[in-house]
Amino acid sequence: MLSIRNLHASVEGKEILKGINLDIKPGEVHAIMGPNGSGKSTLSAILAGNEAYEVTDGEVLLDGNNLLELATEERAREGIFLAFQYPVEIPGVSNMQFLRTAVNAMRTHRGKEELSAVEFMKLAKETSKQVDLDPEFLKRGVNEGFSGGEKKRNEIMQALMLEPRIAILDETDSGLDIDALKVVSDGVNALRSPERAVLMVTHYQRLLNHIVPDYVHVLAGGKIVKSGGRELALELEERGYGWLGIKDEVEAS
Amino acid sequence: MVMTKAAPTLNADFLEAAGSNLPSPLQTLLAQRGKALVDMPLPTRRTENWKYSSRYLQLSDAMASALPSGRKAGPALAFDGYHVVIHNGVVVPEASDFPDIDGIEILSFADLDDIAAQQLAERLDNTLDSNAVQMSRLNTARFEDGLFIRLKPNAVMEKPLFVICETDAHATGSVYPRIYVEAGTNSQMTLVEEYMSTGTEPALVNTVSEFSLADGANITSVRLSLEGTNTQHIGATGARLLANARFDSHCVGFGGPLRRHDLQVRLEAAGAECRLNGVAVTQGKQHYDNHTTIEHVAPHCNSEETYRNIAADESHAIFNGRIHIHKDAQKSNANMSNKNLLLSTGAEIDTKPELEIYADDVKCAHGATIGRLDESALFYLVSRGIDRREANTLLSMAFINELIAQIPVEAVRETVQARLNQFIEQTFKGA
Ligand SMILES: Nc1ncnc2c1ncn2[C@@H]1O[C@H](COP(=O)(O)OP(=O)(O)OP(=O)(O)O)[C@@H](O)[C@H]1O
Ligand SMILES: [Mg+2]
Repeated sequence: MLSIRNLHASVEGKEILKGINLDIKPGEVHAIMGPNGSGKSTLSAILAGNEAYEVTDGEVLLDGNNLLELATEERAREGIFLAFQYPVEIPGVSNMQFLRTAVNAMRTHRGKEELSAVEFMKLAKETSKQVDLDPEFLKRGVNEGFSGGEKKRNEIMQALMLEPRIAILDETDSGLDIDALKVVSDGVNALRSPERAVLMVTHYQRLLNHIVPDYVHVLAGGKIVKSGGRELALELEERGYGWLGIKDEVEAS
Repeated sequence: MVMTKAAPTLNADFLEAAGSNLPSPLQTLLAQRGKALVDMPLPTRRTENWKYSSRYLQLSDAMASALPSGRKAGPALAFDGYHVVIHNGVVVPEASDFPDIDGIEILSFADLDDIAAQQLAERLDNTLDSNAVQMSRLNTARFEDGLFIRLKPNAVMEKPLFVICETDAHATGSVYPRIYVEAGTNSQMTLVEEYMSTGTEPALVNTVSEFSLADGANITSVRLSLEGTNTQHIGATGARLLANARFDSHCVGFGGPLRRHDLQVRLEAAGAECRLNGVAVTQGKQHYDNHTTIEHVAPHCNSEETYRNIAADESHAIFNGRIHIHKDAQKSNANMSNKNLLLSTGAEIDTKPELEIYADDVKCAHGATIGRLDESALFYLVSRGIDRREANTLLSMAFINELIAQIPVEAVRETVQARLNQFIEQTFKGA
């Protein structure tokens, strides 16, 4: 479904991704781990279409089509969803208005009728319960004044409502207390389906106890330096990154 | 070599006799004021309070003639409330309700008896500093009619009064709508002024609206400037407030060839307070200029002012906010904020807060910013599949929603929101 080949990317002239290769098939869950600054968020942002990053080489195919030539909104409609590591606050645009616009944009693209206000509210309320957010939050500005954990739950709620084909979760588990981690992992597990893939960036093995990945990759210095099954995460937890020959800092190149 | 050219003055034709249908005290006033204005210099770029706007002012001799009042019914508004239609500056009784409410008089100037007209003639302009609002003097020399509203003490108008000022610009000319509201002790009303025009000939709309608030009076004023593309608008609003009176103003303006609004509020006795909200949006080569002055004359008064501009394309928006705290006005609270959103590099925004504080025990805060749409917010929205144009519109509306949400009349709020949304969406055509 998603195929990343020899992806190189830089920002402000500095090369950050140095040849990423990754194949993701429907139904699979991939975890990406790796030290701070290794390029995990960069990879996620590039997949979503953030133009701050320049792809200098390589390609990304979604179902065999060139993903990189699509605008961000087109990628989203084709099924790419990124749960941001740091979701922005947008005062003045209510969550309700935002979600409804997004859901209807997706539906229109998929040839379905737009939801009426009533239908939308029903769906939004149900989904907000699923991620344990008070439906009152729908009236507030997008992420405005949300706690870190609420922002992450809002990201999962959006994924549930927008029904992507591939959900990229950038540290959606960071900063969550134990109960919230459970809520978020339940949400991610609810997303799992034979047609949908999940790519999660995480620093913690604990998430992987709730969401069992099919593959674990270690991204360091802009490259995937090791891939394995879920047992790799346990090993990383125990031994750190040192045994892979990686310092916990980004290597200077 | 620098050529010095005499500043252009008001053409004598602009001062031709007006108001022949009015009671004689008002005719006398018009004639006197007209005489005093002969040779009044027009604003130029060297006129401080017009320096950004004088170049948009395009008065021609042909515009000196008053547009005839057709006594036509204006477009009926479905809004719930009372309606008065002013067509080319003249009240149209056939198209207006003059509700019979205890303690409330609503009359056209033409219908005033001589005593009431004499009293009014003495009051007109008493809420405005006509040195600072030069062009209001033209109105006081040229109005053909006007709307007079008197609220007796404790009178409450339950529903809003809509004053629809329509300019019929199928011919070139000028119109001078005039409103005077005298609000007695503890009286209350909401007045919605709506300025619109039909036709595409060059026209000048020169308005003055005044509000005199006695102790404890509470007025909400909504002012919508919605005229068409060839209509120049120079409007002034004045309000003076006595003890514990409250004046709430919501101005929403769409840009045009020249759009100018001066708002002057005087807080003259303790406990008076005002809230002034304003939104102006401009696109293409449009212009909008808001000049506001708040005079804290008495101690213990509050003012809260929030203006927002959105300028797209090659348009030009101006905000000048003056707060003057007089030396006896101790314990004044004054907050002023002006935020501006530039939607293109070709657009221009000029913002200037002017604070003059002569009392020492006051709380006064002000801020002005000019910014652009937040790229990360835009990315967030489009990453959810939202169309780029819609995302831009959502973010621009987010910049003003907070002010629109405060317009207390629901039907107006919704209409204004829809129109703003449509206007802003247009500016993202190419996006
Ligand atoms: N817009 C930018 N401008 C300059 N440098 C950037 C930019 N974005 C990312 N970088 C740099 O690229 C490198 C990779 O950053 P990235 O955010 O992808 O790391 P990460 O693996 O997600 O780290 P973390 O685990 O801390 O979230 C870092 O050195 C970062 O400073
Ligand atoms: Mg990161």
